Amino acid sequence: MKKVIVALMLSIFGIVNAQEVENDSIKPIAISIDSLQQSINEHQLKFDALNEQLSPLQEQVDKMSKLRISGYMQVQFDMFNYQDVPTSSGPLQLRPGTSETNVPLTTNPVDVNNSFLIRRARIKFTYQPIEGVTFVLQPNFTFSAVTLKDAYVQLNDRWTNTYQLWVGQFNRPDYEVEFSSRERIFMERSRMSIILYPQERDLGAKVVADFMTQYEIPLKIDVAAFNGNFGEGPISNQIADVDSEKDIVVRATYSLQFPKAGLGIDFGGNGYYGKNTVFADGTYSDVNSQPFDAKIGDKLKKQWYGAELQVYYDILGGIALKSEFHRGIISGTAGSAIINNNPSFNFSGEREFLGYYVALEKNFGTKFQGGIRYDSFDPNVKLSGNGVAVANDLEVHTWGFAFHYFFTTNTKIGLGYTMPINETSSTIGGIYNNDIRNNTATLRFQVNF
Amino acid sequence: MNTTKFKIAALLVVVMTIGFSFTTINKVTVKGSDTMVILSQKWAEVYMKKNPGASIQVTGGGSGVGLAALINGSTDIANSSRPIKASEIEKLKARYNSMGVEIPCAKDGLSVYLNKANPVTTLTLKQIGQIFAGKITNWNEVGGPDANIKLYGRESSSGTFGFFKDNVVKTDFSPSCQTLPGTAAIVNAVKKDKFSIGYGGAAYAEGVKDCAVKKDDKSPGILPTAATIKNHTYPISRYLYMYLKSKPTGEAKAFIDWILSSEGQALIAEVGYYPLK
Repeated sequence: MKKVIVALMLSIFGIVNAQEVENDSIKPIAISIDSLQQSINEHQLKFDALNEQLSPLQEQVDKMSKLRISGYMQVQFDMFNYQDVPTSSGPLQLRPGTSETNVPLTTNPVDVNNSFLIRRARIKFTYQPIEGVTFVLQPNFTFSAVTLKDAYVQLNDRWTNTYQLWVGQFNRPDYEVEFSSRERIFMERSRMSIILYPQERDLGAKVVADFMTQYEIPLKIDVAAFNGNFGEGPISNQIADVDSEKDIVVRATYSLQFPKAGLGIDFGGNGYYGKNTVFADGTYSDVNSQPFDAKIGDKLKKQWYGAELQVYYDILGGIALKSEFHRGIISGTAGSAIINNNPSFNFSGEREFLGYYVALEKNFGTKFQGGIRYDSFDPNVKLSGNGVAVANDLEVHTWGFAFHYFFTTNTKIGLGYTMPINETSSTIGGIYNNDIRNNTATLRFQVNF
Repeated sequence: MNTTKFKIAALLVVVMTIGFSFTTINKVTVKGSDTMVILSQKWAEVYMKKNPGASIQVTGGGSGVGLAALINGSTDIANSSRPIKASEIEKLKARYNSMGVEIPCAKDGLSVYLNKANPVTTLTLKQIGQIFAGKITNWNEVGGPDANIKLYGRESSSGTFGFFKDNVVKTDFSPSCQTLPGTAAIVNAVKKDKFSIGYGGAAYAEGVKDCAVKKDDKSPGILPTAATIKNHTYPISRYLYMYLKSKPTGEAKAFIDWILSSEGQALIAEVGYYPLK
């Protein structure tokens, strides 16, 4: 009973206690205009202080925004039958100590059939102090050296918004040459471009007329003058010209667009007019494969013309057909010690050549892209088959396959396979009786920023 | 080496990945023009209410930023208050083997804002260009009081900046032109500064007055109104665009089709712009 009474007392106490609500008198907050004004003034002072801090920062940011830094790196794993290196006896260097060789290896007497490689490691600095003036500097890093790829100033004409002047070291005007490896689907440029435009760049000046901005005419004309020896010969001779001759390059392109059909057609033509100075007396070979004596100071022809076509069509994502063609005369002097030697045309004499490629490229969504390319380079159109007496004159057709996966927006992984098919000649004999086994498989990782 | 297995494996990888690449998703990202952000968000909001399975993500940053995102693959649709540049098309070609798809989705007029206390009411296109280029620096050169002109403009990543530069200024802006982040900030600055001038979307001109614009000395001054912008008699009219890498498919196509429908176009006026028809 006591327990019940205690429990009742406790519960009554609890209820009574719970009902004792404190009588809060609601005190309206008196907001005076003065206090509001004071608060506004305080905030104004804070804003002014922030503005003071931000102004110099803005100035710094404006300065920094004039400098753009971009770049990319390509590392890859190659698998091949042998390393395809141009030599003075021919364009091929085969497996040592096997029946597949007719060229003794001096650099590496041990067979190598796979390799890791840093193909590209480049940083590009683009500085635009004022609109219409651009400075570009792009070094290339390899595991053994740092070389300069681009170093030029570009001035835009302010009056007609049509002309640009480029002075320095930059790509020669050509579609495939100017198309960066960063964007290219295929593992390497076509054989034709590698031979005609060693190192892609040259030292010189260029005037570009682009009639799109001002006149809405999709016509672009490049006229350039180059030293004509850059990328050729020992590196010590690539910092200045080796003769007074200048090579003139002209390229004109026109773009047709049919937006409703999702179709775009770019086409154009180009010409290269230059000369190669002879720097070694000796017996050279003319375009008809006839020997002639050349002396130091003589000039050899280096001139060709070309055409290009790129067709873009929007069907289940983009698809493109790209093609280029060049025909003309290439020349050179064999021997890596020669100051204007072109390592990709290691031959003493002149040759009438024909080169082209046809490439089909397809994008699949935003993550995948692939392509097939057929390219051909005939260094001597006057001879074919068993009529060819030296390996340097053999025609080579190359099939290239590539497929890329974009791991992120700036990282891609590519698989490539390259199949060169050389012309055969029993006159040369040996390995040139058949197609040489020189296919290459490449797994490439690319990061750009 | 034995490349047969390598070839087969590579071929399998290629075939499988192509198959995966055509799977569609319901999420659509839209990025770009600050001028179009409010309009685009409105479209997205209404569309998602009608289509609960869809996800439309809208962000700003400026037309240039949106187009850069389209090129690098980080957005499905780029909003732009200026036409795409030839250099941007070249980048699309290089990356996607396509020239991109341009979809005009609304119309807008670019207003030239003046302070209400400024006696100047009309300017020719040439005068406006010279003012922003810094060649005309005093209001008395255009019939106003003897006072220096204070310039306010947008930052260079903005499509409004690009359109105004290409169509009105036609040269570099004066270094004295103060850049502000967004049209609202420009309107605010002109509101406070009697001798200032700014530019931006016609929809934003609150608390300031629109300058009547003459094509040349002989033409009449035209104010930016719904009628003059729609019929293009106002000299600084423009389209607002959406850009895609290639022809839209799946949810992106459904969203764009709806924007271009009478229902989507009806929302444009609510935000202060003008429908295509």
